[in-house]
Amino acid sequence: MILQKLYKFLSSYKLAMALLVIILACCVVGVTVWREAEAGRIIFGTLWFNGLLVLLVVNVACCFFPRMWGRRMTLVSFGMILFHLSFVAILGGIIYNSLFYFRGIIRLTEGEVIPSSEMQSYDAIDKGRFFSFSRLNGETTLIKMHTGYKVKGEDKRAAYEVAVGEANNRTHGILYITNKLTHRGVDYFNDKEGYSLLVILSDKQGQELHGAHIPLQSLVLGKDHVEYSTGYKDNGVVKKDVVPFPGLPERPLFALKTEYLPSKLKERGGEVMFQLLSLDENGSPVRDRPLAEGKAGVGEAFAAGEYLLTAKEVRYWVGMMVRYEPGQPIVLASLWAGLAGMIITFIGRMRQSRK
Amino acid sequence: MKTEYIFFWTAVALYGVSTFSYIFGLIARYEKLFTVGLYSALGGFLPHTLAIAVRWKTGGIEPFITISESITFGAFVAVLIFLVFQFSTKKVKPLGVLIMPVTFVLLGWAGTLMKDVATQIAPALQSWWLWVHIIGATSGFGSVLAAAGLGLMYLLKEKKPGGIYDKLPELQDLDNLSYRFIAGGFIMYGLMIISGAYWSNTVKGNYWNWDPVEVWSLISWLIYGIYLHLRITFAWRGSKLAWYALIALVVMIVSYWGVPFSMETFHSGFRIEH
Repeated sequence: MILQKLYKFLSSYKLAMALLVIILACCVVGVTVWREAEAGRIIFGTLWFNGLLVLLVVNVACCFFPRMWGRRMTLVSFGMILFHLSFVAILGGIIYNSLFYFRGIIRLTEGEVIPSSEMQSYDAIDKGRFFSFSRLNGETTLIKMHTGYKVKGEDKRAAYEVAVGEANNRTHGILYITNKLTHRGVDYFNDKEGYSLLVILSDKQGQELHGAHIPLQSLVLGKDHVEYSTGYKDNGVVKKDVVPFPGLPERPLFALKTEYLPSKLKERGGEVMFQLLSLDENGSPVRDRPLAEGKAGVGEAFAAGEYLLTAKEVRYWVGMMVRYEPGQPIVLASLWAGLAGMIITFIGRMRQSRK
Repeated sequence: MKTEYIFFWTAVALYGVSTFSYIFGLIARYEKLFTVGLYSALGGFLPHTLAIAVRWKTGGIEPFITISESITFGAFVAVLIFLVFQFSTKKVKPLGVLIMPVTFVLLGWAGTLMKDVATQIAPALQSWWLWVHIIGATSGFGSVLAAAGLGLMYLLKEKKPGGIYDKLPELQDLDNLSYRFIAGGFIMYGLMIISGAYWSNTVKGNYWNWDPVEVWSLISWLIYGIYLHLRITFAWRGSKLAWYALIALVVMIVSYWGVPFSMETFHSGFRIEH
């Protein structure tokens, strides 16, 4: 009895209409009252909204298919079946994907090799309950970042030459914004890139004590006016700041801020501005009185008290999105099936009305 | 003055003539003005086409990247659909009374936003999905604009029978025609959403992100999906759906040009932060 009532409720046309109107209202609110991240947090990313979407698909299935069952197959009914079936398949694809997906952001400097299957290799990770890291076996290497990369005369701007996988199963390729790299079903997309300085700390005699690649953030200040500096991103806004140098796990000697001024004449040439701050007993930088500050060319030494600092070379760092989305092909194919269903139904109805 | 601008503003002027011919034809109930309106629209369509062609040839990139180009191309497809329908059926002479004013205003607006032609397209947009997306969006808009025009004809004929309205098709035929255009627009908007999802998947690895532009396109699609459900499942007909088509058109224009270019999304001038 309860099951019958439930089925009656789920197979109601009125429920379908109510759900469509509610979802439409949510969408309108989600682009007017709240927007983007806030709308995602309050509406689109919530359980209740996704529950509505699932309920709509269940309603479509209960409403439509039993009524079609046993009917003579016409062009219209075939198109309608295809259209409504595509919703069910999309839901299936999304559910399947949610169990096995992996999304990570990996950051590498040119020449760097990172183990792909270790969580520490990623800046951020999101994954499904049943995702296995064994799928990411091997290493990820950024061989080179190409600027002004061209394909058939079209400027792709930034392209990453990357190798992924193990020694006996390795994929090597160049990825740019409209061209991903795929290895064992895992896709690599280009995301962002920037400069990285190889900064060497030496004593007065030139004996190298420490060296590290320091990634720089880029601050777009206007058309063709970009500054590259140490710092961090706060809610998408770049803030210039110091970094401990040498970096952890070693004991930092001071806090270092660097700014790179690229040469317009020589690729990876230019000047570097250094600012050194002392550290208090808690390791925090003392900002009011710099220990030293000044400028030196790339490859030239900058004297900072008892030490010499040299920006030995400029490399690029890149951030890549790493994605494994096994349900995506089902969803994308279903979208086309749905569109085909719409077209077939339309043609069928036109033919019916002509008769 | 550049050749492109001469063609462009000639098209705007002729669409203006068409607009006023249709409006005065309707007020004065003088049928010959509809013919003037139709041929002015046809006359404007030629320089409109040339303006787009010249811009395309000069820049060498697809002529629908900036907001003014997008509106110009949208208006172009809308007029094309209108002219093809008018010359192939010759059934609904005053139809331009809604289509031509909307096109005239849109094209004039595009003219105020026009910038120098670009010669490079952003790397993210170097994809043939862009073509599919734009064709879906513009033909979808053209279709629902025609549907709204037919809805208006339905309401006028229903309210003021006699005179020029007697020469319009029967109410039921107008209703059916409007429905067909909506169904066609619904399909084309579906194509727009799917191609956008494929493009997003190629560039970012996800097909849907609840970005405001994606949500607005879903709103458009849902609005016409509800229209079709009301008609097919709930057997709505006539004036209710005619009003629905007219109100939905307003939402359409907002979602198509008002929103994508006025807020920070990947459609804002079609930039991608990179």
